[in-house]
Amino acid sequence: MTVTVEDRAAPDPGVRVAPARQRRRWKLPSFALAIPAWAWLFAFFVAPVALVVWFSFGYKPGIFGTHANDVLSLDRYAEALSPTFFSTFQNTLWVGVVGTLICLVIAIPFSYWLAFKAPVSRRGILLAMVMIPFWTNFLVRTIGWQIILAPSGLLSTALQSIGVLDQPLEILFTRTAVLIGVVYNYIPLMILPMFVAFDRVSLPMREASKDLGAGRWSTFINVTLPLAKPGIIVGILLVYIPLMGDYITATVLGGAKGNMAGQMVANQFQTAQNWALGSAMAVVLVLTILTTVAIAALVSWLATWPLRSRQRLVLGDKS
Amino acid sequence: MNRLSLTDISLKVWAVIVFGFLFAPIVIIIIYSFNEGRLLVAWNEFGFGSFATIVTKPAITAAVLVSIQTGFIASLIATALGTMAGVALARRAGKWAPWFLILLVLVTVTPEIVDAVSLLPWMVFLGQDVGLSMFDNGIVRLVVGHSLFSTAVVAYIVRSRLIGIDESLEEAAADLYAPPFRRFTQITLPLVMPAVLAAGLLSFTLSLDNTIVSAFVQVSGTTPWPVYVLSAVRSGLRPEIAAVSTIMLLLTLGALALVAYVLRRAGDSATDIAKTVGGG
Repeated sequence: MTVTVEDRAAPDPGVRVAPARQRRRWKLPSFALAIPAWAWLFAFFVAPVALVVWFSFGYKPGIFGTHANDVLSLDRYAEALSPTFFSTFQNTLWVGVVGTLICLVIAIPFSYWLAFKAPVSRRGILLAMVMIPFWTNFLVRTIGWQIILAPSGLLSTALQSIGVLDQPLEILFTRTAVLIGVVYNYIPLMILPMFVAFDRVSLPMREASKDLGAGRWSTFINVTLPLAKPGIIVGILLVYIPLMGDYITATVLGGAKGNMAGQMVANQFQTAQNWALGSAMAVVLVLTILTTVAIAALVSWLATWPLRSRQRLVLGDKS
Repeated sequence: MNRLSLTDISLKVWAVIVFGFLFAPIVIIIIYSFNEGRLLVAWNEFGFGSFATIVTKPAITAAVLVSIQTGFIASLIATALGTMAGVALARRAGKWAPWFLILLVLVTVTPEIVDAVSLLPWMVFLGQDVGLSMFDNGIVRLVVGHSLFSTAVVAYIVRSRLIGIDESLEEAAADLYAPPFRRFTQITLPLVMPAVLAAGLLSFTLSLDNTIVSAFVQVSGTTPWPVYVLSAVRSGLRPEIAAVSTIMLLLTLGALALVAYVLRRAGDSATDIAKTVGGG
């Protein structure tokens, strides 16, 4: 996110006596063109989110009210973290972490293959094939899984006919079904940045490693993977963050009662009409995501600390 | 040599399995849209009945029209706002730029459900407490909700495209006394046009597919098609849901093929296109 053209393009307040050309170039303040987008996002993103944070300190005044803020307290947070709802946050975290790990395990060999082994001439088509599911409506592909996983559905019938199962498959509306669904729904977000990262690792680097006697595996672990690390981290974040807030997959594959925090928040706004509690849950959800990402970053930083000094010698020149 | 090819083969097998996984539900939806049965999940026999049902059910056609209308307006707004912001970020970045980028990143990483539950009370507040009755209009609500994420995406795409283009043409125009506005419309805009078009089409597909925000801000009477499908998930799925999904899939893929074509013409490699379409 470094803005390299910044210095060149920034208006210099001291150029009052500059040549005419300079004055004409920067008549408007530099951020003028960004003002409409700024205002739009402020009015319809920052303000509403701020309102929700404000609601979260209030309470539900009665059966017909949705929120009131004349008495401020942290009670809604206590309520959101009470055992009834806490287990849902726990479950969300479990699905989030396990789902992201499964995506990682599936995506690493696949992206590696796509970047290094797949025929270059067909790469455009193959990438397009990864993107088609990504751009198919989220809800529609999840319904596709409902058809596949239903007790009277395709997979169940197939497994029964070849004799693996002797009764219908009872997987729909369980946590396993939600897990399959989220892995499916978010994995393109892991594959694409990972592919781009692998693709950037230049062949000479890998060849040099092999020339110096490293085997394939050792080259992969010591050269390719560390160089592709930024892309892998982006992929993890792109999968983990939306997965934690998932609402649709859990609704379609997890059944009506639901087990994900996103559904719980939605229920408070749509069914229970308790906007104060729903707001507090939404804030807790966002804080959970931020905290876990921070913890993961810290752990991986600490875990690779002994390795890093060694690798910097090997790879430090690569800019 | 033997060990080498064994790894290659297993990688290839893995890739085939992953592609199978990626396409399984989509193929299933397309096949089941030709289901003549009463329920979507239970296959009965092949036929085109579900496609005929779409035409006869006004709710479905209305929902699709709402979606297309919203997608059109939302993508226009997002493209206009995002392009200007992207140009400002690439060409006139000052001290404000990092803050603005943080705002854009926040918009993109906030879970959609949080956006959705914040927009609902906000629309009610603007419409009823402040008295701006336009926010009681279903299309306005949907357009606003869909344009937020897209604005950020357009800004990213335009910014990264413009950073990759040398500024010398614009400087030359300035040397030849072109006023800023003409320089923008005659030099900068044509240069980023491929990115703007691609980003605009992406916003259109994003809006077409938006489900969560739509489900919260929609007003009954202007239901976009994903929300119609979502309510069908609760009340019982019928084959025409798969049929309308197949049609919308074709529409989305058409828009994406157009994106790829526009970027190809502009000289992008397959990898660049993947980066653009993958959201930067």
